[in-house]
Amino acid sequence: MSYFNLDKKIEEYKMLLNDSIDFAHRFYEKGDQKIAFIFLKSITSQELLSEAVFTPLQFYNGKLSIENLQNKILKCSDIKEIEEDEIINEILGGKIILLTNFSDKVIAIDLLKFPTRQPTEPPTSPVIQGPREGFVEDLQTNITLIRRRLKTKNLVLKSFQIGSESQTKIAVTYLKDIANDEIVRKVIKKLKKIKIDGIIDSYYILSFLEERPNSLFKQIGNAEKPDIIASKMLEGKIAIIVDNSPIVLTVPFAIIEDLQNSNDYYTNHHYSSVIRVIRLLGLLIAILAPGFYLSLQIFHYNILPLNFLVTIADTTLGLPFTPFIEIAFIFLLFQILYEVSLRLPSYLGLATSVVGALILGDTGVKAGLISPPGVIIVALAKIALYTVPEQASQITVLQIVFLILGGSLGIMGIMAGMVYVVNYLNKLDSYGTPYLAPYSPRIPKDLKDAIITNSIIEMDELPKTYSPKKEKRK
Amino acid sequence: MKDRISMRQAGIISLLIIFSNKILLLPSLMHEYIKADAMFAIIMLFAIEFLAVPIFLKLKRTFPQERLYDILKRYITVVGAKLLYIASLVFMIFKALLVFSVVYVYLKEQIYQNEFVWIALISFLPIMNHAVMSGIKPTARTMELFFGVLIAGFVFCLIISFFTPISTPYFFVSSAKDIFASIYKYAFTFGDSLFLYLIIDKIDYKKSEEKKFYFYVAFGMFLVVALFFLFYCKYQLTSFMHNNALADLLVFSVHFNAIGRLDIVAMLTIMLSTLFQMELFCYGFCESFISIFPPLNKKYAIILFDLMFLILYYIFIGKYEIMVKSTITWLPVLGVIMGYIFPLACYIFTFLKRRGNNEKSD
Repeated sequence: MSYFNLDKKIEEYKMLLNDSIDFAHRFYEKGDQKIAFIFLKSITSQELLSEAVFTPLQFYNGKLSIENLQNKILKCSDIKEIEEDEIINEILGGKIILLTNFSDKVIAIDLLKFPTRQPTEPPTSPVIQGPREGFVEDLQTNITLIRRRLKTKNLVLKSFQIGSESQTKIAVTYLKDIANDEIVRKVIKKLKKIKIDGIIDSYYILSFLEERPNSLFKQIGNAEKPDIIASKMLEGKIAIIVDNSPIVLTVPFAIIEDLQNSNDYYTNHHYSSVIRVIRLLGLLIAILAPGFYLSLQIFHYNILPLNFLVTIADTTLGLPFTPFIEIAFIFLLFQILYEVSLRLPSYLGLATSVVGALILGDTGVKAGLISPPGVIIVALAKIALYTVPEQASQITVLQIVFLILGGSLGIMGIMAGMVYVVNYLNKLDSYGTPYLAPYSPRIPKDLKDAIITNSIIEMDELPKTYSPKKEKRK
Repeated sequence: MKDRISMRQAGIISLLIIFSNKILLLPSLMHEYIKADAMFAIIMLFAIEFLAVPIFLKLKRTFPQERLYDILKRYITVVGAKLLYIASLVFMIFKALLVFSVVYVYLKEQIYQNEFVWIALISFLPIMNHAVMSGIKPTARTMELFFGVLIAGFVFCLIISFFTPISTPYFFVSSAKDIFASIYKYAFTFGDSLFLYLIIDKIDYKKSEEKKFYFYVAFGMFLVVALFFLFYCKYQLTSFMHNNALADLLVFSVHFNAIGRLDIVAMLTIMLSTLFQMELFCYGFCESFISIFPPLNKKYAIILFDLMFLILYYIFIGKYEIMVKSTITWLPVLGVIMGYIFPLACYIFTFLKRRGNNEKSD
């Protein structure tokens, strides 16, 4: 009895896949028994097909049956029976489909293969000491990297497929004895609700996970290194890994995470504390310095120390622009140079630096268009921005806001702006975690790993900020 | 998200509100009237104000979840409660006006050099409105975050005053009658604990944290008393000529010009504490308004506050002397009612409640 008309079926699937050039099929015949293999050449391993499927078939002398194929003949770890309506999706997912003329059952074998890169140190999180592995674009590799660090039965991995066209695999992973169940439920619910055609990178799902997607401030953490993700999971956070993306997302998120760096845990904690203080100062300088300088120059020059005032007066005398226009111009110049340096090929980088720093900056000052203190202040703010690179985009917007406030309302405007921003941040929370915790609200026990950090021995309790299930780390 | 605050945050709020009206103009005003004996007046005024704290905590223990308005309604009827809330509404807006006018004059003299009222209004009003719209929880958290910086700035100003020649001022130059008269005269600048009563239902009370709460109140009072003392020590008989006490502590310091213009520390401390005080007074006003007119929400309260503030600004702050004069003529009556008689009434309510409970159990 013939269950499938194999030729007809192959033709049908070929048409369904738009007669794609990578569509392929093979037959294996043994007596009157015939098996058809349907797959996409571009995403399946031809070597494995030969080794794990054809070679065992040729050496098998018994009668072919679906059970024998699954249990005795095929040498693959991932073989499963699927329904007929799942065939197309499985082919697109890199599976090899087996149709036979002796059974109505369909088998899918996972022989997915596509080019992947090795886990190398990510450019955004280099370390002086410590592990250098970074996530890659392959979901399985990323899961392996996390598993290697958390060899526990409490590690949970849940998989979803999102995107009507991209069918992107997303894995949610957490430690079930630490992560808060309510937050896990909330994350999964939000993921299931996502309706989108394609997910190209993990940032595509960011807005769907955020509680206030229109906010300027990020509410989801991210990392490119498995050691960071593992340590975050040990604190009770939930990681979301998206196939084709080396960026892994984490929830809940508090802003203190961006002031922490994996380097801090691989060096002496006293040194780490100093570095974190500098990072915080860098953050404040980046946000406030241009606006503050402007407010001093326009409104409050009388409170500047005399020597400093004389220097500023000397250098700004004869400038054709108002202080606000001057600073805004330098700011714009830096921003343009930054954008250009991001997009230009690296061999043009040197040329950009020469044009930007020497020709535009130096000549601008010599021509009397901009003042040296103005250049220094804006350059300082722009460099300080990268003490906390994860917040760079938000800080850039805040720089502009505080520049306008300082230029139009003076110091009082800056102070009012600061109170407003902090008040707004205090309203934000990420899955129940206060944005500015453990400082506001103050959670004394969590201060052990805040700006001033203690040694790892003293951090014996899990941070309450993220509402973990248990209190102690051990 | 429940709009509730911790005892620590409530303590910080009470500390910040204690600073209001007392760190700039008040020391010189009081000195003009009773010289350095203002120290006795202020200690007595604080002693009375401090008594409001245990009463507040007792009220919180007796009526753990109830709003102040509901408590008042039970004992002095709806009309009585509404009248008291109207008084509180007036108290809050005049407090805000007084803080604003004093700080406005200070900033105008010190850093803006000219009229800048629109700058001041644009800086203050949106922040106050935003704080009310956000609720007490984010506002209290913001204060909690800036608290350390603010206290560090305040203490820095006090410490720097030691770097100039200071000597103990002359006490006992005014009569006891004058000292007691000044207690009444400056009553409006005290009695800020009323704000706590207005947010009584929004505080997560924990008996174990009572000490912490007392500490913040006592610490706030100590800082103000220390400011008065150091200010009088520094300027002696000419204290009445210096209208900006906290900022003037830094002037003439040996380090003033060596390090740079240190008055920026006082400036930032004053601006920050003023912003917070204005937020609290605006919040107190809106809470009172919503209780008086329950169908109306925060937005109406904010609009009314802004309108009243702008109108009263032209009447009072435009003529600064009227504002200062009002604080020692008719506003003390309001200060005494809201700051002193009102907590006493609350104390009586706790007794009445206990008696009611005893009668029920009998």
